[in-house]
Amino acid sequence: MTFLAPWGWGLAAAIAVPLVLHLWRRRAQARVEFPAVRYLLRMEREHAREVQVQNLLLMLLRCAIIVVLAAAIARPVARAPGIGHAPTAVAIVLDNSLSAQAAGPEGPVLARLAAAARGVVGAATAADRLWVVTMDGVVVGGDRPTLDAALAAVRPLDGAGDAGDAVRRAAALVRGSGLPSGRVVVLTDAQATSWGAIDPSALGGAAADLAVVTPGAIVNRAVTAVAAEPLHWDPRGAVRATVVAPDSASWRVVVDGRTLARGTALPGATILARAQLTGTGWQAGVVELAPDELRGDDRRHFAVHVGEPPAVQVASGAGPFLAGAVGALVAGGRARVGGGITVATMDQARRPGLLFAPSDPIRVADANRALERAGIPWRLGARRTGAAPLTGEGVAGAMAREWYALESATAAGDAAARRDTVATVGGAPWAVAGDGYVLVASPATDEATDLPVRAAFVPWIDRLVSQRLVDGSTGVSTAVPGAMVRVPAGVDGLELASGPVRPVAAEEAISAPWAAGVAFWRRGATRVGALVVNAEPSESDTGRVTVDTLATRLGARTVDAAPDGLGRAVFAAGGARSWSRALLILALLLLASEWLVAGRGFGRRTPVER
Amino acid sequence: MSASAPAVRADLMDPATLAALGRLEVVSRWLVDGLLAGLHRSPKKGFSVEFAEHRQYQPGDDLRFMDWKVVARADRWLIKQFEEETNVRATIVLDVSRSMAWRGAPGRLTKLDYAERLAAALALLLLRQRDAVGLIRFDDGIRSVVPPRSGQSQFGKMLAAFDDAGAGQGSDLAGALAQAGKLIARRGMVILISDLLLEPEEIRDTVQGLRGQGHDVTCLHVLDPAERRFEVASGEATFVDPERGTESIATPADVRDLYASTVGDALAEWRDHFASAGAFYEPILTDQPFGVPLRRAFARRQRLG
Repeated sequence: MTFLAPWGWGLAAAIAVPLVLHLWRRRAQARVEFPAVRYLLRMEREHAREVQVQNLLLMLLRCAIIVVLAAAIARPVARAPGIGHAPTAVAIVLDNSLSAQAAGPEGPVLARLAAAARGVVGAATAADRLWVVTMDGVVVGGDRPTLDAALAAVRPLDGAGDAGDAVRRAAALVRGSGLPSGRVVVLTDAQATSWGAIDPSALGGAAADLAVVTPGAIVNRAVTAVAAEPLHWDPRGAVRATVVAPDSASWRVVVDGRTLARGTALPGATILARAQLTGTGWQAGVVELAPDELRGDDRRHFAVHVGEPPAVQVASGAGPFLAGAVGALVAGGRARVGGGITVATMDQARRPGLLFAPSDPIRVADANRALERAGIPWRLGARRTGAAPLTGEGVAGAMAREWYALESATAAGDAAARRDTVATVGGAPWAVAGDGYVLVASPATDEATDLPVRAAFVPWIDRLVSQRLVDGSTGVSTAVPGAMVRVPAGVDGLELASGPVRPVAAEEAISAPWAAGVAFWRRGATRVGALVVNAEPSESDTGRVTVDTLATRLGARTVDAAPDGLGRAVFAAGGARSWSRALLILALLLLASEWLVAGRGFGRRTPVER
Repeated sequence: MSASAPAVRADLMDPATLAALGRLEVVSRWLVDGLLAGLHRSPKKGFSVEFAEHRQYQPGDDLRFMDWKVVARADRWLIKQFEEETNVRATIVLDVSRSMAWRGAPGRLTKLDYAERLAAALALLLLRQRDAVGLIRFDDGIRSVVPPRSGQSQFGKMLAAFDDAGAGQGSDLAGALAQAGKLIARRGMVILISDLLLEPEEIRDTVQGLRGQGHDVTCLHVLDPAERRFEVASGEATFVDPERGTESIATPADVRDLYASTVGDALAEWRDHFASAGAFYEPILTDQPFGVPLRRAFARRQRLG
């Protein structure tokens, strides 16, 4: 039994009042004239024993009333033996992250966590309210069959999920249950990368129990990174992957079900597999290792676009640097000469096109009119000069010395600018991309920027052409399971890895699938890009926080994960009843007894008027 | 009744209220007039042998005079009244000891105030019957003696005697009763008005002696309601007997029922004691209207013929 307000016992000191009154009874000071004292004396004489017993009984009753009231004010809480626990709200946070797939000698961690959860569900009564909250934020509540079915259906995620969000949801459910008693039960493998930085305030004051199940010592090999190089194959290309393993690991590269390459990777080695694909368009691939105790990170997905090199033509007046870069791409088989993509200055704007600012300021007005005619929602603004570093993929380290402010011509304004920006100078857009165009705010001269004379220039042009301008390509989006991603411009559907197409709206933010794999952005029936979903590389780190550390961080009590014991422990702690009301009722009964004994006379004859 | 008399019958009014309306003499007359008005008869009518008229039954009437034939025939409860024929010599023995000068609540009469008004009214009622009435006032000794006489002046003598000193420490009831027996030369009536705060054995022989002399003995036992039920506005206190100085510590709320039961036993013993001696006994609470004890005492006198 515990007391929520132990200071209430201080009131028990008032017990001295009836004791003193009783012991000093014979020293009463008030004197009252009363002629019929003879009757009082006769009463004492005839009922001496009864009066003594009554006085003693009254003293005991009054002491008991004070003690019981003090106990009630101290708010005792304890289980009521034999009558079960009080109605309790229990939210079970079930860690079904990728790491819970690990299988040790006692079986898969997730299966053991689910068994522990079933132990809690089995110990509940009809008056309790229970929910199961998984790492992907899914909440299932209901009666025992519903929860048992939900636990049987729980599958491990292909990613980490969000432990903090799951705990917060569980705590909110408990707090909002309206039941006097509630607990959050966290069942996890205590993976450090998921729980190491958990917000201590996630529980929001809710009482919690923590049970940890670990797989024991396991050997884990994982693919932590993979990419197609280049993204556009003609149809030749390469796949580069990073493998983390304590020993050598067998690997293979599979595209659309066909194994392209295989081999054995040494610890810490990077895999580079060259291959040639058949067919054209967007294709899904995976690099996978031989199975180990943690299967979830043995595979990593990638996407690749297969087709002829893009046709590129360089407009007259584009300058020698652009002509030279395109010539290099054609010579390397990364492009071919043709009337597809135009590389020009903005006063010759057309789509698809890679467009640079004109070198002569007098042509800026022509450039803006040409942009408007081409339907490109950007305009050149004020001319800027002075050396400023460029930031963005492929341009890091380069400097701009002359450029024009890029101003959005749409109502979306700054939001559109942030979304479409490829590179910036001084925090403002320097290169922006959109549907069928890439605009660069500086002229393609070495006086305006040193980028054209840097080694990164040609690969940068190659990336822009192949990923931004090839036949409506939206490129590759990457995400972890369940993360929010922005739908690229011109896309109206997402072809999921499992086959169905999910309608989407361009520019909206959607949740990435929880299953790892490759989904394709679609415009009508055509694949125009890919969404590659892979687990966080950190999920392959099987390091764990200690139970005590995690319990301290959460503010939770540690309990054993054995199903039977866990159920009892959860409801023993959360199901304790408050005894205050019962004690108050007892005090009232004692008060009534005191009134009966004092006023009515305990065991006394009813007086008769004569 | 005079013009300033209460609009309702005085014998049915609250004693304290009635006492506040006038002097002892006036109140006594109101009481007697009210009582006789309730009886619907002239002062000379009583319960003797010659039938005079009927009147409505009043609580306290002797059921022997109920006209059962009328009850059976007309379902009306009527009492038969008869012409008075005989005179009685009566002596009222009034306890004026200190215990009588006590009241349990400010709104009530003291037992002595109540007893004096009751005695005066009773005397006037008997005098109007043309009986001879006397008065003995006593505490620890005889304080006043008015020998029994009839006539208009007797009531004045008795009123004057009420002003004599009294309220001594104790009660010599046996002596007072013996004195009363001496004052009545032939068979008569002794009416004792006292709070009887003494042991029954103290007056047993005296009462039996009076009965042996052929006297009718009526005892009106005056109690304050607070004495009857221990309804004292006090917490735990030392209660002191003003006459004997004895003390008892009690909490009224705790022992009230036990006390009331004890007093009930004592009253029953008094009743048995007087009954065994052939005397009439009536406990009276000082918050009772005077009409009830007056009617009881008057009915007792009528039985004597």
